[in-house]
Amino acid sequence: MAEYRDDRYYVDSHEWILFDGDTATIGISDFAQEELGDIVYVEADSVGEKLEKGEIFGSVESVKVASDLFMPVDGEVLEFNEDLEEEPELINEDAYAAWIIKIKVSDPEQIEDLLDAKKYQEITE
Amino acid sequence: MNRTILYDEHLALNAKMVDFAGWEMPVQYTGIKDETLTVRQAQGMFDVSHMGEIRILGAGAGEFLDYVLSRKISHKNPELTNYAFLCYEDGGVADDLMVYQLDTDDYWLVVNAANTDKDFAYLEVMLTKYDRQNEILIINETADYGLIAIQGTGSLTPTINALAPIYPDLNISERVEALKRFRQVSFPLDDKRMVVSRTGYTGEDGYEVYLPVTDTIKLWQNLLKENVKPCGLGARDALRLEAGLPLYGHELSSEINPLEAGLGKFVELERDFVGKAMVDKQQRQLIALISQDKSIPRDGYRVFIQDQEIGYITSGSFSPTLNKGIAFALVSTDLAENTTKVEVAIRRKNHIYKITTTPFV
Repeated sequence: MAEYRDDRYYVDSHEWILFDGDTATIGISDFAQEELGDIVYVEADSVGEKLEKGEIFGSVESVKVASDLFMPVDGEVLEFNEDLEEEPELINEDAYAAWIIKIKVSDPEQIEDLLDAKKYQEITE
Repeated sequence: MNRTILYDEHLALNAKMVDFAGWEMPVQYTGIKDETLTVRQAQGMFDVSHMGEIRILGAGAGEFLDYVLSRKISHKNPELTNYAFLCYEDGGVADDLMVYQLDTDDYWLVVNAANTDKDFAYLEVMLTKYDRQNEILIINETADYGLIAIQGTGSLTPTINALAPIYPDLNISERVEALKRFRQVSFPLDDKRMVVSRTGYTGEDGYEVYLPVTDTIKLWQNLLKENVKPCGLGARDALRLEAGLPLYGHELSSEINPLEAGLGKFVELERDFVGKAMVDKQQRQLIALISQDKSIPRDGYRVFIQDQEIGYITSGSFSPTLNKGIAFALVSTDLAENTTKVEVAIRRKNHIYKITTTPFV
């Protein structure tokens, strides 16, 4: 069974976002990693770019499929979690610890549009 | 949605089920990487009961197949399983299939699940053009048989141990032990049969067992007791691509003929058969590619040399065995002979891929 954590927000494209002041980390949900299966490659070639909510910031690939990653809010991509370069399977092991990018949040009010754990869980069922 | 007789077994093993050509099939149990490596290093089993068995029966059946298939089947050693193509007049492929001779004038075509109904209808039409049509029967026996593939070095012992208790009166052990690669043995049962062939779709040694649906669950459960690991369609696809084997709808289709796909050795062109026209239609060729970085090529990605688009990826995947991206690409035959590298467009960048030979592993 997939796990849902209520310390963070989600979007329906299955990313989570965890706020920490005016920065935030972004990853994919436990449900998403279960659906993808063995993750073998993670890429975020958008470091340094300012992206809007809904834009692609990278991709995550399993043996079978490549899946784009979407910004849950507007922000500047500050950092890619380089541990994932050598060990993409960290996402399978703990999707909520294995953040993919860190961003500077541009518009804190967008938090209103995000899903809480309960609402996100509902759309995955 | 169709289900194989092993559907409940898959659920009991917590398989992730997907729709494959109208069949609800297991794509993975524990994970594609793990399952792929198990077949390379030990033994795995696949439920491929969704594949079609079309029986061609009656006087002149062999000659009918000679005419509709890319190889002259009727004169081959009846113990051999033969890979062949069922083509359209223009040489495009209706299906790639395995031919099993069951008896005199009695054959099985083992066909792709997605194509069973199409092939059956096409063969019926072809039969109306054949002068001995009244003597030949075409029967779709797919629903009567289960099919389990046991793959990996060392598959012989678990296969015999699992089969022998189901058929104590048949001389399973001796006859299966004697089987050489690409050969088959057919055991008659009451009104059906059980067939074992030393074949597969993984590049490893192994066996495929066709048996009445009523016996299929027992075989599956016996194989589990023999510690043969259940593997899903995800691993099956990774394994076949690593082995450099084509998949219908990707490397072969009504638009891609066997010569373009580099499979000319399964086409006997010196005779008359449906699809011979393929010989004049070779504008493209299939090449094998391997990544030079961590990128993974996927179906449909475009292939370039410098700025010129030369073709596209027909099948691409991460290879669990090599830890690299591997692919087949269908490209222009204009490619210079000394070409060793191409570029594959993956999202925002072009990545260098080396042209290699198959099998990849």
